[in-house]
Parts: sequence; C-alpha cells; structure tokens
Amino acid sequence: MKHVFLDEYSDLRSPVHQLDPRAKLVGFAALIVICVSTPPDRYAAFAAYLGLELALVLVSRLPWRHVLKRMLVVLPFILVVAAFLPFFGEGGGSYNLGPLTLSAHGLLVLWNVAAKSTISVLAVILLSSTTPFPELLKGMEKLKVPVLLTTILSFMYRYVFVLMDELQRMRRARDSRGWSGKWFWQSKVIGHMIAALFLRSYERGERVYAAMLARGYGGGTHTIYLYEFGAMEVGFMVMLVLFPLAARLIS
Amino acid sequence: MHHRPAVEIKNLRYAYPDGTVALRGVDLLIEEGESVGIVGPNGAGKSTLLLHLNGILAGEGEVRIFGLPVEKKNLREIRRRVGLVFQDPDDQLFSPTVFDDVAFGPINMGLSREEVVVAVSRALEEVGIGGMEKRSAYHLSYGQKKRAAIATVLSMNPDLLVLDEPSSNLDPRARNEFSELLQSMRITKILVTHDLPFVFENCERVLVMSGGRIVADGDSFEVLSNETLLAEHGLELPYGFYPSPRGKASEARNREMES
Repeated sequence: MKHVFLDEYSDLRSPVHQLDPRAKLVGFAALIVICVSTPPDRYAAFAAYLGLELALVLVSRLPWRHVLKRMLVVLPFILVVAAFLPFFGEGGGSYNLGPLTLSAHGLLVLWNVAAKSTISVLAVILLSSTTPFPELLKGMEKLKVPVLLTTILSFMYRYVFVLMDELQRMRRARDSRGWSGKWFWQSKVIGHMIAALFLRSYERGERVYAAMLARGYGGGTHTIYLYEFGAMEVGFMVMLVLFPLAARLIS
Repeated sequence: MHHRPAVEIKNLRYAYPDGTVALRGVDLLIEEGESVGIVGPNGAGKSTLLLHLNGILAGEGEVRIFGLPVEKKNLREIRRRVGLVFQDPDDQLFSPTVFDDVAFGPINMGLSREEVVVAVSRALEEVGIGGMEKRSAYHLSYGQKKRAAIATVLSMNPDLLVLDEPSSNLDPRARNEFSELLQSMRITKILVTHDLPFVFENCERVLVMSGGRIVADGDSFEVLSNETLLAEHGLELPYGFYPSPRGKASEARNREMES
C-alpha cells in the first residue's frame, strides 16, 4: 500500500540536501529560536527570516506545491485559535469593523502568532524535506541526543506503515464479514481490533529483538555516520544564525 | 587441529516459560560444507531448534558451533559465525534504510567505518540487490526483502547460514531465483521449511522433526520418497512432484523429456 512518507523529496540532489544533517538541525533550530524571541513589531526582521527561507526553498529545488501543501496541514490549527485574539484583546486603542471591535494589541498578538508559526513551520518543512529521516536521526545521535530516543524514532519510522498495512488488512477482513459499524454492540469489535493490533506489535517486537540479538546487538549505537562537517556546513550555519541575528538587531 | 563439525548438539531439551515442551532430546551433527533441510509439521520444534544455534534460547543439553560451546562468553563469536535469517523479512529488516540493516551486524562486530561500507556493498552485490543501500525496506518487493534479509547476515561473513522458511510467500519466479542464489553460495546451510521441493533442490540431507524430536535423518531422496514416513508426520510432496535419485528436480524433468 502507498503511504506519504514523512520525508518526501528528501532524496533530491541540491546543495542543501547534501549538507551534514547536524548543520541543518542546529541551523534551523537556531533560526526558530531567534524568530520566536523577536519582538513582534520588528517587521523587517520577520521579512528577512522569511526571505532567507524562501531562498533556501529555491536553492533546494523543492516544489512549491509540496511546501504549500505541508504548510496548509499545520497552519490552520494555529491560525484558527489565533484568529479570535483581536476580538478579546485589550489596550493599545481599537478599531471598529462594523459591529465588531478589534483591539490593536490583539491584532499585534495575531500577527505575532501568525508570523512566528509560519516561519517556524517553514523551517521544519525545509529540514524534513531536505534530509532523509534516517540521516536526521543519525545527526541527532551525533549531537548527543539519547540513543534510546533515536532508536524509538527509528523503529517508528520503519514500522508505522507496516502497522498501518496490518490495520488495513484487519479492517478489510472485518468489513468482508458484514461489519457495518452502525450498532452500539458492534463497537466492541473495535476494542478487539486494538487488542489484536497491540498483541501483534508486541510479538513483532520480540521477533525483532531476537533478530537484533542474532546479529550481535549489545545496546548502544548501531549506525555509522558518513558526513563530514566541512566548509559548506560552516557557511550554512553562519548564514542561518548570523543573518537572522543581524536582521533582528538592526531592524 | 582435530576435527570440528559445524553443529554438534547432544540431548537438547527445551520448554517454553509457559510450560510447552518444544524439544525433547535432540541429537544432531552437521559437518562443514553440508546443506541440510529440516522439515516437519507446525509445532514440531524446528524454529525453537534454530534459536538454540546462536544462543537466543538456551535449553538443557549441549550445543557446540564449530567446536565452541554456546554459552555467554562465546556468544559474540558464535553470533558472527552463525547467520540466522528469520522468516518474516519485516522482522529481520528493522532499520530505517537497507544500508543500516546490512551494516548492523558488522557495526556490532566492531568493524571500522570503511570496513563496514565495504562489507555492506559486497553483501548486497552478492544477493543481487547492489545499489539499494539508501532505500527503505518498506519500499522493497517481497523477493528483494528476502534477499536483503540474507545480506544482513552475509555482511558478517558467517560460516553457517541458517534460514527459517526461506521460500515462503515468494512467487514462483522469485522462488526459483532465490533457490539459485542459495545454491551459488558455498557455505554450510541449514534450511527450515515446509516446502519439500525447495529442500530437495537445495539440500543433500534432510531431517524430519516431529513432536520435539528428530524422527528421520538421511539422504534427501530417501527421506522425501518415503511416503509413509512423510504421511506419519503430517507432510506430503505436492501433487505431481516426484523426486529422482539423481538429486535435482530439474534433472528429473529432463529425464522424463528424454524418455
């Protein structure tokens, strides 16, 4: 079965794709921190952050459609909450919009949330679309993220679709036997399915562990890192840290 | 140096924690270079036996691999020498990419970065899926997954290859190609399967397991043409398949065409 992968387009070739994942992890994290900590009225700084990100989208040759689609998945949730802020905010004068009153302070908060979430989400999209997830995990490991955590994430990446396929097959088997889901007593079936899925995953876990032991697993890292931290990486990080920082201080 | 068989098992007994007795006294000797098939009905103890070959399970009795007793201090060496491939490639391939999976064993063995890279590409070439390092196992075909699963142990340069149900779920073409791949590998092999023709193609020697014991052990042709023995232990050859004493199923077909 076909699933949309987390790291779609991460196998393109571009200067951004080829960078050491560590540089991208640190660079984009820095950009997000700088952006989030910028006072909302530094409009020029936000423009600079966005400009930098759009330039990176261009350089990395990501399809715009893909980037927009990903933004549309995340942003509405944030914006729906933020859209009500101008109506409840107080202070800083107010504007009349027909029967409604908008507070200037509330508007600024809306702008703040919208701008910062857009820039942050775009940073995450850039990171995940230019770095294959396995490489990202290796980068995290190199940056001293606990191995336990990266191992869990790596199993999740490997098995989430295997599990989804399993669920799909169970659903088909269920529906083939006339399940309609209309009646209250049929809800019990869903409980049974969850239990079955849990047991299957648990058993798979045991088999996978046996397969790991069989190949000499003794805990610890089990990947090797093929990237070198070179001039490109340094340049990239300088760009992603110093440029936004300068933009923020000057504006 | 005195003679050391690849596998030497004496009176091996094992019961699972829930009390199910799986092995009731298994004695087995496999010489280096042999290719042995283990057949038997479900629940006969075949997979349990396999898990003893590299110390994942430990029962009562004695198991020696190339002379080394299977015990804690030898596990590292034994797990390098015994390449155990599990039935479901989705269990065997647990890493995010094929490269990481094939590199898993060599890294655990403590090879250097360069050695690991070489071992991985060599193992993938050997099973015929070279260049698929960066793929996710999820995106491979079932036949490719089976091959990748074998590569994950070949990269450790094992001396004994142990395969659980190697031909299951393969379509006829993938099955034939897989059989050819196995035949091309000059290494001691143990195959556990229900697929009797597959055993016949790949092994000179067959063991029949039933009820936690080895009930028959001998030349493939003799064991597999003994219908009474097979029927007694819930096995039978597929309809239309007749083993020939010359060994290979393809030769049997050729002979029929000549006559």
